[in-house]
Amino acid sequence: MAGNVNHDYHILDPDIWPLVGSLSALTFTSGLVLNMHPETFGTSGSIVMWAGLAGLIATFFMWFKNIVTEAERGDHTPVVQLHMRYGMILFIASEVMFFVGWFWSFFDFALFPDALTVTAAGTAEQATTNVTGQAGAQASLVPEGMEVLDPFSLPLLNTLILLCSGTTVTWAHHSLVHGDRDGLKQGLWATIALGVLFSAIQAYEYTVAPFVFGQNTYSSAFYMATGFHGFHVVIGTIFLAVCLYRAYLGHFTPRQHFGFEAAAWYWHFVDVVWLFLFIAIYIWGGWGAPVH
Amino acid sequence: MMGHIHTRIKFGFMAFFAAALFVMMPQTSFAQETVGADVPPTAASEEVVAGETEAPEASGAYVPMAPTEGKGMPTATEDDMWASMTFQDQYTEDGAYALWMHDKILLPVITVISVFVLFLLLWVIVKYNRRSNPVPSKTTHNTLIEVVWTIVPVIILVVIAVPSITLLARQYETPPEDAVTIKATGYQWYWGYTYPDHGDVEIISNMLSDADAIANGEPAKLAVDNRMVVPAGVPLRIQTTAADVIHAFSVPSLWFKMDAVPGRLNEKLLTIEEPGLYYGQCSELCGARHGYMPIAVEALPMEEFEAWVLEQGGSLPGAEEVAEAAAEEETAEEPAA
Amino acid sequence: MATTAEGFDAHHDDHAHDADHKPGFFARWFMSTNHKDIGTLYLIFAIIAGVIGGAMSGVMRLELAEPGIQYLAGAVEFFGGTADENANLHMWNVFITAHGLIMVFFMVMPAMIGGFGNWFVPLMIGAPDMAFPRMNNVSFWLTVAGFVSLCFSLFVPGTGPNALGAGVGWTVYAPLSTTANSGPAVDFAIFSLHLAGAGSILGATNFITTIFNMRAPGMTLHKMPLFVWSVLVTAFLLLLALPVLAAAITMLLTDRNFGTTFFDPAGGGDPVLYQHLFWFFGHPEVYIMILPGFGMISQIVATFSRKPVFGYLGMAYAMVAIGVVGFIVWAHHMYTVGLDVNTKMYFTAATMVIAVPTGVKIFSWIATMWGGSLEFKSPMVWALGFIFLFTVGGVTGVVLANGGIDDNLHDTYYVVAHFHYVLSMGAVFSLFAGFYYWFPKMSGKMHSEFLSHVHFWLFFIGVNVIFFPQHFLGMNGMPRRIPDYPEAFAYWNSISSIGYMIVLISVAVFFINLIYAFTAGKKVGANPWGEGATTLEWTLSSPPPYHQFETLPVIEDHHDYHDHMPREDKPATA
Ligand code: HEA
Ligand code: HEA
Ligand code: CUA
Ligand SMILES: [Cu+2]
Repeated sequence: MAGNVNHDYHILDPDIWPLVGSLSALTFTSGLVLNMHPETFGTSGSIVMWAGLAGLIATFFMWFKNIVTEAERGDHTPVVQLHMRYGMILFIASEVMFFVGWFWSFFDFALFPDALTVTAAGTAEQATTNVTGQAGAQASLVPEGMEVLDPFSLPLLNTLILLCSGTTVTWAHHSLVHGDRDGLKQGLWATIALGVLFSAIQAYEYTVAPFVFGQNTYSSAFYMATGFHGFHVVIGTIFLAVCLYRAYLGHFTPRQHFGFEAAAWYWHFVDVVWLFLFIAIYIWGGWGAPVH
Repeated sequence: MMGHIHTRIKFGFMAFFAAALFVMMPQTSFAQETVGADVPPTAASEEVVAGETEAPEASGAYVPMAPTEGKGMPTATEDDMWASMTFQDQYTEDGAYALWMHDKILLPVITVISVFVLFLLLWVIVKYNRRSNPVPSKTTHNTLIEVVWTIVPVIILVVIAVPSITLLARQYETPPEDAVTIKATGYQWYWGYTYPDHGDVEIISNMLSDADAIANGEPAKLAVDNRMVVPAGVPLRIQTTAADVIHAFSVPSLWFKMDAVPGRLNEKLLTIEEPGLYYGQCSELCGARHGYMPIAVEALPMEEFEAWVLEQGGSLPGAEEVAEAAAEEETAEEPAA
Repeated sequence: MATTAEGFDAHHDDHAHDADHKPGFFARWFMSTNHKDIGTLYLIFAIIAGVIGGAMSGVMRLELAEPGIQYLAGAVEFFGGTADENANLHMWNVFITAHGLIMVFFMVMPAMIGGFGNWFVPLMIGAPDMAFPRMNNVSFWLTVAGFVSLCFSLFVPGTGPNALGAGVGWTVYAPLSTTANSGPAVDFAIFSLHLAGAGSILGATNFITTIFNMRAPGMTLHKMPLFVWSVLVTAFLLLLALPVLAAAITMLLTDRNFGTTFFDPAGGGDPVLYQHLFWFFGHPEVYIMILPGFGMISQIVATFSRKPVFGYLGMAYAMVAIGVVGFIVWAHHMYTVGLDVNTKMYFTAATMVIAVPTGVKIFSWIATMWGGSLEFKSPMVWALGFIFLFTVGGVTGVVLANGGIDDNLHDTYYVVAHFHYVLSMGAVFSLFAGFYYWFPKMSGKMHSEFLSHVHFWLFFIGVNVIFFPQHFLGMNGMPRRIPDYPEAFAYWNSISSIGYMIVLISVAVFFINLIYAFTAGKKVGANPWGEGATTLEWTLSSPPPYHQFETLPVIEDHHDYHDHMPREDKPATA
């Protein structure tokens, strides 16, 4: 770094990974498009897609590796840690808005389930027949006779698992703050185990669910929202696993452990989203429908 | 191929400059030209007369109405510079109200605001340029003026809001029970009009080619083969929907625009005040031929409308009831006999 | 363009002191972690995109110069398709889509936020760089990736093997973008938005963090230059609006490719849902495109009036208010979809409210000039042009805000006129104002004031000739998004197209000016604009050192900057 720096900010050296990551992202999305259109592009899409994904994974890996190295090198002064706090909070805020998109569509289908006759004065009466005569329109969110998942079976279990994992991650945090590294590891192990258990149950439930993605709006909104949530659980679990690995490497001090805190925040966010999913989609959305 | 395109573009632009010069010539030269050579307007006005004379013979077969210059269609600059710069004349009550609101409230207000801002800018440019005012003041606050320029816009907006909300409130009015229902369905790329009250008559309406339109004395790109024929002076229940993508049913001279959304049936009251031919165009991007799915609404006196319905093989709602009632009577009477 | 790129780095070579040690060419421009270099990259990128988007609008104006279809077949062949009537007409939709998306996502946003935001937010708050320099770079390259994806879409099937490109409008409404444009072009366009959107979200995080945490000691939020305020508010809008768009277009993708029916009524979905999601993003987006412009205009007006901004706090909070209210007015784009009357009334009222804080800004700018000592340097004339033309565009927005009036004007050229007044004049005028204001600072060279004024007048006349007549067309009933129109609309369309020629010449003058500046422009000192320029960037050399503020400046109560303060005394910004 240049000579007489008199501030605590983190000035970085040039880095190739932003470019690699972006090109990989482009490669990945392009590969997806190629894959989705074999009629135009034949079957070469997968290679492109996997290449892009590999690049992305490499980028994430190297990127976070660099951050960890810098942290261990002492580049993360208090103000830089503060930056990261802000960055993480803002990132989570944007994630919340991402989920707002899914909930918006879910509530649209739940509250206005069918093709409507809309008069200008706002008296919306349910059309008796689909106005364009297309088949398949629904009269309610969950079509007559469709089975849904019983919210008070595995989903309730999963709720408890996630809530529990929220406490174990706090346990880990407390241990860390009080210098109890064994407790940190145990808490993390427990959290990760619960996360994996959650994902496993969710995956199992997907395989036995009485409806499939794209079957109707309920099923699509269901899989979209819970699927993206599940994806976030996986990311959160990996994040925690990295923290655990770092804990074994001796990283983190009672005073400086933002990597851990970020993982914990993220985990709590994932937890809260689940509560909304559970209440809105599993319980309220499927209310009254026959359960599987 | 590239070179080819380039020359095309180059020539285009040159032609364009030439055209520009031509267009900038005084308006009068244009007007003269129109009167001299043009077929459509003259043809049209002649046919209007013809149409009028034909109209009374209600028994005669339906003859598509000839358009009236300047009614229910955009106005060309050559015909009337002023009219080409503003809204089309309105043939509904709400349209007239809306037009009034625009012309008498909105347009003056926004003009005054824009001119006022321009005036202030010119004022500071003249009064406070470096030469006139070498030493700047240091004023950065004046509570009174700040309050004023917050409150005055609020008042202006409230003034706008009153007629604006009134205009919207008029839309509360729903079509009465006996309103004539017409369902406009948007297709890629034509309109279908069905008349559920009239034996489900269905009209498929496609744009006429430029040549056919002009031969008919109608404006190109607006004329259609089969029009949406409706009765004038009575409430219409216009419903819109679409079969493929979103279209929009729009007739500027009726102040009417409603999206035709697949899976939805939008509904709105429309009362056309006088007979006439009112053109519109699809107003939601719907694919390649979005520009080529015009709307032509022909409003006729009730009797002529009914004659038209019958001619299309439809039935009249009253007639149906009468027939039904008669049939019922018959069945009721038979056993007794 | 090459001149620009070379020019931008050429000047640095003669500053080789310690803080100015620069990496080699590849590392500097492809691996950058320097906010000024990234800002430069963004500006070059935006200028290239502006030229492409502007050229597309040229083809559009050419086609619209007279009724009939004249040039679209050529365009189809240009992109490698086979011209037939359908393909030609489809090509129109591809053009407006690409023009709209390029101008919005790849010209205005990168220039304002990526370009000027990156360059001047850190300088104005006295920070050495952005909070996340590496992430800053990924934001830029993701924008480039998005642009490339959009370019791909032009060359692959849209509605059919013959009709290439995404012909869906920049709004990408379903089901036109799902069932009716089933080719890969729309997928490429959607991913283009994903990529650019991801870049912008990361950028927004970066700006908010930087502004909250890296202000120089003594620079409280209420002492921050208004440009920084504007970027702060914009960043919040980006952060909260873009993810909703991401969700919406992800649902488009699954509807297209994985059998879902979010927006397909045949499966119980709702096309109008897409519009709600889109405009929940889309309306904040239009303020994203103008707020940084507001910020730049504030700096410029103050500088060239030699007066501090009038009503500073009101100005800052007006932007906050615009940002907040901007989230609850989205359905004014949907008055004709079949909303019920009460909803229309609410959105009418809510939309009009925004005129109040915007008026506060307009009048505060004028009050800043009032009593000032105005100097009509190039940035100032662009700023004056901005204030007037934005007002004109704003008040036609207020006309459209009335649901009952919009029942007629929706999807007509009146709307096109409205938004080009606020964008092609508002946003673009503020861009040129900002460009001329900061060009000497960024490059160390002075542009030609004469050419800048020529550029201004030609552009001013040109855009007005293009877009003013479009109000007439709209009121007279001409729908937007059509390549061919009834004879009655011919005259004002031809005038509009002539206006484009004038703009073309003016943009040429802009580039001549750039070339002039880089080859023959006078070297400038720290502050070419005189005592009115009081923000921190003018305390630095032009161009600023590669790493500035290695010792943080301290802002005292009376805008009196000096930079000798031992590190230990630094008040904890943390
Ligand atoms: C920079 C971008 C920008 C900005 C700043 C605005 C600002 C505004 N816009 Fe605009 N708008 C667009 C970009 C923008 N818009 C775009 C791109 C579209 C079309 C999208 C598409 O369909 O493709 C659009 C469309 C659009 C519509 C939908 C039209 C339709 O499709 O039918 C409406 C309707 O309400 C609207 C309203 C407004 C209003 C009320 C403002 C207000 O914020 C304006 C406020 C400013 C002023 C009013 C002037 C200054 C104020 C004063 C001098 C004080 C005194 C004034 C009064 C008392 C009135 N806009
Ligand atoms: C910022 C946004 C922006 C800008 C600048 C422009 C600029 C122009 N636009 Fe565009 N336009 C849109 C956004 C914009 N437009 C959008 C969103 C649509 C709707 C699309 C849709 O319907 O889906 C649209 C649609 C649209 C239409 C309607 C098409 C239709 O409905 O069928 C037309 C027709 O004339 C048009 C013309 C023009 C012209 C002649 C210009 C000229 O002003 C162009 C002149 C060139 C420039 C002004 C560029 C100069 C800038 C630079 C070179 C970069 C400078 C950078 C720095 C200084 C850093 N545009
Ligand atoms: Cu149908 Cu546009
Ligand atoms: Cu808006």
